Amino acid sequence: MACTMFAAIDVGSYEVNLKIYELSARKGIRVVNHVRHRMELGKDTYATGRIGTELVDELCNVLLDFQRIMKEFGVEDYRACATSAVRESKNHIVLLDRIRLKTGIYLEVLSNSEQRFLGYKSIAFNSDRFQEIIEKGTAIIDVGGGSIQLSLYDKDNLVTTQNIRLGTLRLRERLSDVAKRTVRYAAVIEELLNNEMRTYRKLYLKDRNIRNMLLVGNYIQYINKYIHKDRDVDQITKEEFITFYDEFIQTGQDAMAVRLGISNENSTLLLPTLVIYKRLLEETGAENVVILGMDLGDGLAFDYAERKKILKPRHNFENDILEAARNIAKRYHTNRNHTQVMERIALTIYDKLRTIHGLGKRERLLLQLSVLLHDCGKYINMSQSAQCSYDIIMATEVIGLSHMEREIVANIVRFNSGNVMPFEELAVSSLLERSEYITIVKLTAILRLANGLDRSHKQKIKEIKVNIKDNHTMQILVDTAEDLTLEQSAFPEKTELFEEIYSLKPVLKAKKTG
Amino acid sequence: MKKEFTKSEYFENRELSWLGFNERILGEARDKKNPLFERLKFLSITASNLDEFFMVRVASLKDMVNAEYCKKGISGMTPQQQLDAIHDRVHKFVGTQYSTWERSLLPGLRQCGLQVIESHEELNEEQARYVDQYFVENVYPVLTPMAVDSSRPFPLIVNKTLNLGALLKKKNEEDTELEFATVQVPAVLQRIIEIPPVKKDVRSVILLEDMIARNMSQLFLSYDVICVHPYRIMRNADLTIDEDEASDLLKEIQKQLKKRQWGEVIRLEIDEKADKRLLKILKREFEIKEDAIYRTSGPLDLTFLMKMYGLEGYEAYKEPVYIPQPVPDLAGKEDIFEAIRERDILLHHPYQTFDPVVDFVRKAAKDSQVLAIKQTLYRVSGNSPIIAALAQAAENGKQVSVLVELKARFDEEHNIVWAKMLERAGCHVIYGLVGLKTHSKITLVVRREEDGIRRYVHLGTGNYNDSTAKLYTDMGLLTCSELIGEDATAVFNMLSGYSEPASWNKLSLAPLWLRERFLSMIRRETDHARNGEAAHIVAKMNSLCDPELIAALYEASAAGVKIDLIIRGICSLKVGIPGISEHISVRSIVGTFLEHSRIYYFLNGGQEEVYLASADWMPRNLDRRVEILFPIEDEHLKKEVMHVLDIQLKDTIKAQMKQPDGTYEKVDRRGKAALSSQIYFMEYAKNQNRQPEDSAHDRVFIPAEPIEGPDDEE
Repeated sequence: MACTMFAAIDVGSYEVNLKIYELSARKGIRVVNHVRHRMELGKDTYATGRIGTELVDELCNVLLDFQRIMKEFGVEDYRACATSAVRESKNHIVLLDRIRLKTGIYLEVLSNSEQRFLGYKSIAFNSDRFQEIIEKGTAIIDVGGGSIQLSLYDKDNLVTTQNIRLGTLRLRERLSDVAKRTVRYAAVIEELLNNEMRTYRKLYLKDRNIRNMLLVGNYIQYINKYIHKDRDVDQITKEEFITFYDEFIQTGQDAMAVRLGISNENSTLLLPTLVIYKRLLEETGAENVVILGMDLGDGLAFDYAERKKILKPRHNFENDILEAARNIAKRYHTNRNHTQVMERIALTIYDKLRTIHGLGKRERLLLQLSVLLHDCGKYINMSQSAQCSYDIIMATEVIGLSHMEREIVANIVRFNSGNVMPFEELAVSSLLERSEYITIVKLTAILRLANGLDRSHKQKIKEIKVNIKDNHTMQILVDTAEDLTLEQSAFPEKTELFEEIYSLKPVLKAKKTG
Repeated sequence: MKKEFTKSEYFENRELSWLGFNERILGEARDKKNPLFERLKFLSITASNLDEFFMVRVASLKDMVNAEYCKKGISGMTPQQQLDAIHDRVHKFVGTQYSTWERSLLPGLRQCGLQVIESHEELNEEQARYVDQYFVENVYPVLTPMAVDSSRPFPLIVNKTLNLGALLKKKNEEDTELEFATVQVPAVLQRIIEIPPVKKDVRSVILLEDMIARNMSQLFLSYDVICVHPYRIMRNADLTIDEDEASDLLKEIQKQLKKRQWGEVIRLEIDEKADKRLLKILKREFEIKEDAIYRTSGPLDLTFLMKMYGLEGYEAYKEPVYIPQPVPDLAGKEDIFEAIRERDILLHHPYQTFDPVVDFVRKAAKDSQVLAIKQTLYRVSGNSPIIAALAQAAENGKQVSVLVELKARFDEEHNIVWAKMLERAGCHVIYGLVGLKTHSKITLVVRREEDGIRRYVHLGTGNYNDSTAKLYTDMGLLTCSELIGEDATAVFNMLSGYSEPASWNKLSLAPLWLRERFLSMIRRETDHARNGEAAHIVAKMNSLCDPELIAALYEASAAGVKIDLIIRGICSLKVGIPGISEHISVRSIVGTFLEHSRIYYFLNGGQEEVYLASADWMPRNLDRRVEILFPIEDEHLKKEVMHVLDIQLKDTIKAQMKQPDGTYEKVDRRGKAALSSQIYFMEYAKNQNRQPEDSAHDRVFIPAEPIEGPDDEE
């Protein structure tokens, strides 16, 4: 049959969703069922740090029922993902196991960056206008129950993305005492937000010209419908929004929820959401609010369709990842010329060795990222740059990179100078498996070699040619007029690991030109 | 709501309006133009209707009075005032019921050769012997006579059963006190018993209670029987389950079922000739007031007339049996799914057969491409083929989900049995929703086809009950519209307890948005009228008593909207109020079939809209039930539905117009053709099948394609 039935389960902070998709090359993606169950998992997590038995039981019942509904549509494959409410709960490992045993559903926990990446994927797929919008300075803002994700796009590329841990549910829970005592609830929320916003503005918004604020989420769609009635418009001007906001504050949350047609169960998060929107609109200076649907489930479906080669990607997210890495590198003043040359050299070697290292496209990207970020730690401490680079990478979110991939990159960079830790030592403080360790070592070897070829950081070598000779030697032909004494002297040390890993001895041959 | 349209004098009390409806049915029983046996049936219906009315409505008013709840209804009457008015009117009504029986139907039956022996003194010798022997052989063994004295308390008299009360005196003892005894007329035995005829060409029947009364002395051998009289009581049986407290709805209902027979007695029916001493005892024991005692001059519980209708023979005195016709769009089509893919299919029962609906489920159960079947079941016939098909589907590995409404009045016990049966077969059974009755009629079949998932949906105005589908007029739609399919899935998600979808495509649901939807459509017509455009609403339903909708209709009428209502039962709206309801007409059609479809038409400035629904315009439908309103959008089908409304508005035989004083009068036929809409639709359904397809009308001959020869010629 020409279609694949796929289901995405999204266990969020205040809602559990099941979406069933029909995927086909001809008709694309069609949602055939969307089941929503309201339950505030985040309430437990954000208040006590763990999810209580009652909620876990409820979740199990819902997931069991989802199994039944999936059968109703002949679902062949599914992905079930949990986000911050489960991620941040201290008992989530036990919880996932219980869910699997009770319901047969394998629930994965997404890291924040994976979650956002899937969200953006859904936007890119859902909206034809996505490419057009991100040409101009655009802030994509995703207000969730646990946190707010702020991403800046400019000239087609992702500039930065930050996660502010002040989602609607978290705000509501944190202010639950205050809410009863004050009539200035909205003002209190604003104050709490301001603190975080100030830091963000200083660091990231300074020189950016943000034209559009792209909002995702359900509420904004209701608001849009309310402002524009039946007109098919997906944009709200700043003035329209402010007028609406004032009306909202004057009328009050409950009455407004009725006017908007939002059911009672969903209305308590309306006010925090609006305050967040308003503050961000003011901070970014955006003139337009663009409304787009974003949905983790959709992202999972697109991702699946892409991996199964049912659909072609619509936006190159690898470029986003690279662009984000370049921005990080820039912030820490790395030597751009040095990394550019290294990038070229490293990738040339990587491509030449394809059959030997047996790694794929994704690992190539990881190598590229390692090159871009390999000396960012120098910004902090010149003599412990490897460890500092590791720490920076581990603390920096890159959208589109899974947590595991991020750790791989951080380790490659750490092992670039200094010793390569044995697996047993690494495993003490990491969840990486042997297979990932091997990837790290293989890529580290290439990184070191490439680094050695620009030891002087003067880009004496611009192009290289690589030949494998008699299965034991890798000849590196460089075309340069410069003196390579330094590079030659560093060569044995920098190639030691490479030889050990690949059983190939790199030999540097300079072909003097000029 | 604007105040000027909500004054209490603008509304008729719903109970009294309902009694008016029952009076119209009684009118049919009295109408000599109807065949004699049909008249028996109408009389029987008035009796069973009245029973249910007492059990539900009177009981509920009684509860209010007991709870000292005296809030006035929309017409400004307190519960006690309503009860008083009801008793007044029902006493007169019962009088008419019995005079119809005694003076018109009984002599009529004798004329056509059926002698109904009303008192055993009329028996001749041969008959008497037969009756006594029949009693000894068949009746005596199942009787449980119960006497009351100081050592034996008054026994439990079961709700709605027929009983014989007697006064006894010990034999050979002078001056002893009279004793009371009672015996239940067994419901397991036939109430009408045929006995040897007095002469040729005449058949004779006697009623079971008379037979027992005649032989009462055999039950109390050491007593003299002073008098014997039948009586019957009605108890407060309204089942109010506190759903917030019941952790398990199912168990709670099972508990309630046992308790139900213990309710307060709210009506006593007894033979008008009954001995005063006997009546006094009953009055005391049942703690009943004078106005709740109904004295009859004929057999109690006239519902037995339905059985009499069923006596074989007498075909000349019955309407010929109508056979529901095949649906033309499905005629000759093996694959119902293919037929639905070609075009939406409209069903009009009972003029057209209910079989396609049963077939739809049955085929789905066997179809290899079907993944899932989902259905809401409200009142289902015993031995329902639909239930069997659903169980079969589950056994065939389909995902079957069924919402079984256990709160359907008086059917709980019955429903629990087959719900459990479905569960055993592997169906996913949902036992209703807390606080809401699921009244919507929807079936969803999910099928995986070559080009993806396709959903087939049946939506109806009537229950999935193949027996009532032969008696109730209802409409249904079979469609595979993607938009309706999506909505149908969302409906079942909600029925499983999940959140409502962000938006609906085509369906409107109660209790969510249906009231608003109706109001906005009425107001839209009002706006059209105010703008000087033509504005017209035609609405057909069973009952209208929602104050908010009535006020909206008044407002529309005041603005100049023409409103034609076809309402079989309760109508709290008053016609002909100057400046308020002058543009509103209300007619009620009571015929052989029970009018049951709900159809709503709005002119909408020329963009006509037609809807079918499971809901009436009653508060319970709009606020406390899950109901579905669905549009008919296929132009051809829209015309069909509008045609149905049009014909009903032209009915001059069975339609009765509501008058400003609340009474109903037959349509003034001067200058109009005689038309009975129900007869019209029967003929129409037959003709539809006779008519050849349009293409056959074309006077163009199409040469047949040459048959492809085998290749070996080359």
